[in-house]
Amino acid sequence: MLKVTSESLLWLMLALPFLGSLLSSILPARKRNTAGILAGVVMLLASVVAIGLYSSISEGSVVRSRIPWLPSLGLEIVLRLDGLSWLFAALVLVVGFLVVVYSRYYMSPEDPVPRFFAYLLAFAGSMVGLVLSGNLIQLVFFWELTSLFSFLLIGYWYHNERARSGARMALIVTATGGLCLLAGVMLLGKIAGSYDLDAVFLAADRIRQSELYLPALGLILIGAFTKSAQFPFHFWLPHAMAAPTPVSAYLHSATLVKAGIFLLIRFWPVLAGTEAWFATVTTVGLCTLILGAWVAIFQQDLKGLLAYSTISHLGLITLLLGLNSPLATVAAIFHTLNHATFKASLFMAVGIIDHETGTRDIRKLSGLARYMPITATLAVIAAGAMAGVPLLNGFLSKEMFLAEALDLHRESFAGRTLPFLATLALAFSVLYSVRFIHQSFFGPPPQDLPREPQEAPRWMRMPIEVLVVACLVVGMVPALTVAPLLGAAAYSVLGPNTPSYSLAIWHGFNAPLVLSLLALLLGALGYVLFGKRLNRQDGTPLVGVFKGRRAFETVLSLLIRGARRTMEFVGTRRLQPQLRVLVLAACFAGLLPFLRYGYQGGTKVGTPLDPAFALIWLVGGICAVAAAWTAKYHRFAALILMAGAGLVSCVSFVWLSSPDLALTQLLVETVTTLLLLLGLRWLPARSRDLWPGSRTPWRVRFRRGGDVTLALAAGSGIALLSYAIMTREMPNSISRYFVEHSYPDGGGRNVVNVILVDFRGFDTLGEMTVLAIVALTVFALLRRFRPAPESVRSPEQQRLQDASDDAREGRERGDTLADYLLVPRTIMEWLFPAIIVLAFYLLMRGHDLPGGGFAAGVTMSIALILQYLASGTRRVEDRLRVHPLRWMGSGLLLAVVTGLGAWWFDYPFLTSWFRYVDLPLLGEVPLATALLFDIGVFLLVIGAIALILVAIAHQSIRTTRRRPEPPLAVKSGEEEA
Amino acid sequence: MDFVASLGLILPELILSLTGLVLLLVAAWAGDKASSAISVAGCVALGACFFLVARTVCAGASGPDTVAFFGQFRADAFAGFAKLMIYAASGAALVVAPAFFGRTGQMKAEYPVLILFATVGMSLMVSAGDLLTLYIGLEMNSLSAYVLAAFLRNDSRSSEAGLKYFVLGALASGILLFGMSLTYGFTGTTSFEGIRAAVGDGLNGGTLFGLVFVFAGLAFKISAVPFHMWTPDVYEGAPTPVTAFFASAPKVAAVALATRVAIEAFGSQADAWRQVVIFAALASIVVGALGAIGQSNIKRLLAYSSINNVGFILIGLACATPKGVSALLVYLAIYVAMTVGSFVAVLMMRAEDGTPIEGIADLAGLSRTRPALAWCLAMLMFSLAGIPPLFGFWGKFVVFQAAVQANLVALAAIGIAASVIGAFYYIKIVKIMFFDEPADTIRGKSDWAHWALLAISAIVVSPLGYLLTAWLGKLADGAAAALFLLA
Repeated sequence: MLKVTSESLLWLMLALPFLGSLLSSILPARKRNTAGILAGVVMLLASVVAIGLYSSISEGSVVRSRIPWLPSLGLEIVLRLDGLSWLFAALVLVVGFLVVVYSRYYMSPEDPVPRFFAYLLAFAGSMVGLVLSGNLIQLVFFWELTSLFSFLLIGYWYHNERARSGARMALIVTATGGLCLLAGVMLLGKIAGSYDLDAVFLAADRIRQSELYLPALGLILIGAFTKSAQFPFHFWLPHAMAAPTPVSAYLHSATLVKAGIFLLIRFWPVLAGTEAWFATVTTVGLCTLILGAWVAIFQQDLKGLLAYSTISHLGLITLLLGLNSPLATVAAIFHTLNHATFKASLFMAVGIIDHETGTRDIRKLSGLARYMPITATLAVIAAGAMAGVPLLNGFLSKEMFLAEALDLHRESFAGRTLPFLATLALAFSVLYSVRFIHQSFFGPPPQDLPREPQEAPRWMRMPIEVLVVACLVVGMVPALTVAPLLGAAAYSVLGPNTPSYSLAIWHGFNAPLVLSLLALLLGALGYVLFGKRLNRQDGTPLVGVFKGRRAFETVLSLLIRGARRTMEFVGTRRLQPQLRVLVLAACFAGLLPFLRYGYQGGTKVGTPLDPAFALIWLVGGICAVAAAWTAKYHRFAALILMAGAGLVSCVSFVWLSSPDLALTQLLVETVTTLLLLLGLRWLPARSRDLWPGSRTPWRVRFRRGGDVTLALAAGSGIALLSYAIMTREMPNSISRYFVEHSYPDGGGRNVVNVILVDFRGFDTLGEMTVLAIVALTVFALLRRFRPAPESVRSPEQQRLQDASDDAREGRERGDTLADYLLVPRTIMEWLFPAIIVLAFYLLMRGHDLPGGGFAAGVTMSIALILQYLASGTRRVEDRLRVHPLRWMGSGLLLAVVTGLGAWWFDYPFLTSWFRYVDLPLLGEVPLATALLFDIGVFLLVIGAIALILVAIAHQSIRTTRRRPEPPLAVKSGEEEA
Repeated sequence: MDFVASLGLILPELILSLTGLVLLLVAAWAGDKASSAISVAGCVALGACFFLVARTVCAGASGPDTVAFFGQFRADAFAGFAKLMIYAASGAALVVAPAFFGRTGQMKAEYPVLILFATVGMSLMVSAGDLLTLYIGLEMNSLSAYVLAAFLRNDSRSSEAGLKYFVLGALASGILLFGMSLTYGFTGTTSFEGIRAAVGDGLNGGTLFGLVFVFAGLAFKISAVPFHMWTPDVYEGAPTPVTAFFASAPKVAAVALATRVAIEAFGSQADAWRQVVIFAALASIVVGALGAIGQSNIKRLLAYSSINNVGFILIGLACATPKGVSALLVYLAIYVAMTVGSFVAVLMMRAEDGTPIEGIADLAGLSRTRPALAWCLAMLMFSLAGIPPLFGFWGKFVVFQAAVQANLVALAAIGIAASVIGAFYYIKIVKIMFFDEPADTIRGKSDWAHWALLAISAIVVSPLGYLLTAWLGKLADGAAAALFLLA
């Protein structure tokens, strides 16, 4: 029964702060008191719950509560309370309660206080979640949550520039660390086989021996060091001091920075005990300890002093944890607790000073003890604890630290120097503590303060009083107060290895005591000697040049500028370089298999190369290259050259014995070239002078050279690959089936035609539809087309002819044209019936011999185009009555009806039927229903090409009408087709 | 598998194609007045298909019963999972458009039709069981996409985006087609099953060529580095609803398609392509993060962010394990929610007179002028950065976990380290919105549809999203299992 209760209490403890945060966030911004009371009650309740839970862990037992979440991923939500997490949770909640009380009086009524408390409570909840996590991923989750809420807390006064940059810096540093931590714990989970904390503890030996130990250790340490502001990541902490003082008091004493420490202690049983751990953690801790203390001496801002002192004390704790000694670990836990109490009270005291005097500048402050005697007393005691004065809690843990430092391997260099360095750092600590107290509270009355100092309200002092009493009580009677708590925490970390130790003020007159007294003396002496000079000092000697912030900002700006530069260099918005990159990347990708497997041609032997064929291909290649070369500067030439290349491919088809392909190719080539020629007329004129002085700059030549190289590389790569494929056995393709079944099943010997009209009739029907759509689209697009202004004028030759016609008597415009085209026109007009007969011939024989509906249709269209060329648009359209739309429509309809006809006879769609029929005049003719289908193709092709032709041809009529001078005689109503 | 059963399996595609065709006719006759009615009809069709597909996904459909048209088409749970995301994202693209285009009277009735056709293409892509189905689906989607990118005909940026996308996309399609023909040339088949059988006992040089070029072509479609350069330009130039569409649905389709090709056709040779995928993943993460830093236009920034995200998605593919594919799907689902949400937030950035605003500087102090929008966008940004407690963290986590389990420890570690750079610029945006002095240019009113979508995606990326994890993980596991059952 008790078990159940403590488990549910765990959930309550975690949920309370978040609930409070939610409630507080919906309060109106002015409800300062309500928010304060709400937050206080929530924190108090949670603290009571935490304290109530002590009994269940005091005997070294562990309370667990798990909710299976995603068992397949090894994820459970586990709350796990042992001595260590209890200690931290209690610290977080109790100090949290005190901070809430303090903040209520600290925050000014202008601030949106409910939001402040919402952030603070959520942060406290995240901290509780972090320390209670029994699952590594859950731990990282709450870890990042603390980063996020601390970001919001530090940046709470967003109107302050320093708060904004401080918040961002803190978030970037700690969130980065959090991501590293995530990577680290994932490795840990991989080694241990589970993310469950208990499983990880059990796998401790396996983890330390694993080859992934070092990367895991490194990543986890980065996470811990960034969070607990260890050198060299310490720089964010002083800048986070721009936050409201209660936030600093909370984040930098008991919570945020202690999360890093908590992590180190939590993983101590798993990760510690190796050389790598010792070397890294000790070194980092020692550096942080000394550096922080040294810099703290020279601070003129009270909060800055406390910030660096915090860094230094965190270094001390880290150093202790690095020593791989159980006793040192106990000392570390103890000092964590002590530091939290005295540092929180000191921050609050500084907050009072700031609040009451309006400044935190140590040089302006003096003799405040007479205005605020109680605060002064409290601060003196807390600072004494910070300096390690006997009878206060700081003294005890410091003694343990010194004992451990002395106890380290005496033979090594590090072992011998450590006690001295430790004493030095402690002396520094004494020095800045004395400076802090003496400068602010003693001496002559202050002058020129922004505000008249006075004692703080009672409730604002209360939290400090509580904490200072704790310092005193722990310092004087440790065994009666803190010993059991510390024992439980230490046991949960060290288990049966927990060393025996005694918490007492007096251990006899031994070496640690001597060093401790020495440090006190040295520190006091230092202040007497240099105290005055410190006030005049700007910046820190020795290490002042190395500003963490500057380094951070340099790194950031390097990153930003570097990223911009790189993107400017490799990124571009222009299409050409993008194409180049694309081709280049493809070439490079193609290179990979070459490098891996080398190049092998196939086994099939190619036919010997005929010189004539090679010559044809040479011509074709030259045509193609030349077409590309002139494409930009001379479109007409490029088009003709392209036609040349097309012709060569026709010849190749003939050469390779496929006359049907050659015929089709030839016809299509002709039609497309003619249509393109007609269209060319309306393109905008090319710019003649691309480069001033008609000299191409070297830059451009270089670029073009690169493009040529790239084209050559890509082209030869493709050629090589094609060769490799074509010299291999062809895979079992479908073509053999077609060749074998073309006559028995389709009744035709022209395999291509049978495929088109029979085997793949459905595809052809689709393609017919596409062709019809294309024709309609061309028509629709050109109907609204208006040529570029410079293309509207008639061509030069026509203008000359017109001028000459105008100049002479008795001649009409167009006479010259009609005269000199007489012979070709007559020929072309007489050709018309001949071509039509040819078209019908091709259509009829298509099923067995080269030809077919498509070829016939294209042939017929050529006849039409010739008429247009010979006689001009108007004349042709006066006589010819081809309605393109009707032709296209009937073609499609015929094809579909033919297909549907098969259904009549219970065959699938488009099944064809064939028979030989004896026709008069023509003899025996193979007749298949496929022929009907082919006629459909024929009609459609003619219609489509005629429609395109009409659309292009009518450009000339329309633009003539738009010319300024009156055009040739135009019959109205003809221009819109 | 007979014809009728096959037709039953492609029912969603049939519904979408027929709806698209009918709506096209409606659009031709009724004109742009009917555009909102057509949009609604398109949404209804998408919704119907969504529920049709949801059934197969929930049942974890796999095996021979899901194969239609002799292996050309697969309607398994994997395809279904991808289709759910595609339909949802396409629906979002339909919903957000009227308010955007309507302001200037540029809402045309073709828009919903084009989206529907693109969706059919994507549907085919993710279900492809054959290189030819793959290509047809891809081109169907791409052709619609080219037109959509240039949808604002009078806007030079939009036209440029469309042209650029077309030219580069055509080249990439050529590369893809070349790779496919090489694959066919060396294996003698175009079906994934046949290719798998042919490469079962090792790749030869020729097949590797085919593989490399097929992957290069697909890399363009998912905008993985080094085939990413079109992304920022097209995303910036295209109208924002279209950009939202591009960043979500086609990306899902292309990733799912690449996964299917990699696992189903070349799964036995994972070692041959893993290196390439790892390279593309890391390069995308780094380039995406670095590229985003210097941007001042939020659409360009999101474009780079999508490149960055593709990198993380590819980590899941590099695992080549069921866990990896499942992680990839989970990531994709979260990614779609985040992307749609972010772009809807961009859509809501309007000046007083309704002109769209795209500058990052204009976001300054948004938390004070438009707190709700600022909070939603901040959540989306933190989620994209993968910072807990937002849901984006979960996607990153499952992907990294899969990588660690597949012994790709270094990849996971480098990926996490590189995500740090990414976190930087997301945080920058949050800082600008919350801490900077208000620029107060964003004052326009927003459509209720935008608010609704933004709210939905904000809820999904919020910590409440974690309630979905168990369910999402189960579906993704089922989908991945269906894929590996065939492989």
